[in-house]
Amino acid sequence: MTRDEIRSTLLGCLVAVAPEIDGEEIEDDADLREELDLDSMDVLRWVQGIHKALGVEIPEEDYGQIVSLEDAVSYVTARL
Amino acid sequence: MERGIDISRLSGSGPGGAIQASDVLSVKAHPASAAVSPAERMQRAIAAAMTRANDEIPHYYVEQSIDMGNAIAWLRETNASVSVSERLVSGVLVLRAVALALRKHKSLNATWQGPEPVPSAEIHVGLAVSLRGGGLVAPALRNTDQGSLGELMVRMTDLVGRARAGALRSSEMTSATITLTSLGERGVESVTPIIFPPQVAIVGCGATVERPWVVEGKVVPRPIMRVTLGADHRVSNGHQGSRFLTALDRLLQEPEKL
Repeated sequence: MTRDEIRSTLLGCLVAVAPEIDGEEIEDDADLREELDLDSMDVLRWVQGIHKALGVEIPEEDYGQIVSLEDAVSYVTARL
Repeated sequence: MERGIDISRLSGSGPGGAIQASDVLSVKAHPASAAVSPAERMQRAIAAAMTRANDEIPHYYVEQSIDMGNAIAWLRETNASVSVSERLVSGVLVLRAVALALRKHKSLNATWQGPEPVPSAEIHVGLAVSLRGGGLVAPALRNTDQGSLGELMVRMTDLVGRARAGALRSSEMTSATITLTSLGERGVESVTPIIFPPQVAIVGCGATVERPWVVEGKVVPRPIMRVTLGADHRVSNGHQGSRFLTALDRLLQEPEKL
């Protein structure tokens, strides 16, 4: 998968968790929890969606590494 | 409002800003509800309910700082040993602990109907869910004290998802016997919540933050969560409220039993 394809998949998983979010308006370096008002349950549902879509399991202790969409893309890309 | 004009939004041209007939007549009339969005409608309903609660319910508050160290450690260990689809969040532990504490403190699990409270035989904790577009709902998780933690987590995830998608059932909006509101993830340290009528109590949780804590005579950093109980003084008193919070604290020290 290309980096763009991974980004698109992760964004799709995120919008599935928070359908009221306009995916096109999310900036790659924005703090997702802060900008999108995500809580721990949203993050867990996103992580579950990523696992289902791409087979990448993100352990809880790594949540801190994923602040922005860009972080998530880099994290997943390194593990595919 | 006969002409659909909200007089509180008018600027008066009379002495001292007094509103005169000409001020009203100069405004183009429109139906009062025409420009009201669903979010505004919800906010108005919340405002009406909270104003009523504040006016009619003699609230009292008791607060407890709870060491969440055991709960967090248990959660970390549990989540590391299960698949990603079975992970839990700390909120589900608090939710279950509130429900179990209510089994012994029934005066807080009731509704106010007319001149007296009616105890509820079942425990349906309402979960306050903020909506990203604005607004707040508190649907009930029925029989919150029953089933496994994993099952409760699945139900809670489903309920929150449907709340945010606007797909709640009307029965879920009216059957809560107490409400749990948590603003900890928004960074605040404590919450002083207002009861949702006709309920007679509400539990508010703040953020879990590292604080100096005395353990066996030594000061050590521990993750502390401040929990506030707001309750109706017509139905219970501070002594009962304190016993409930103490029970909640004990339950959260043994998360494996939740």
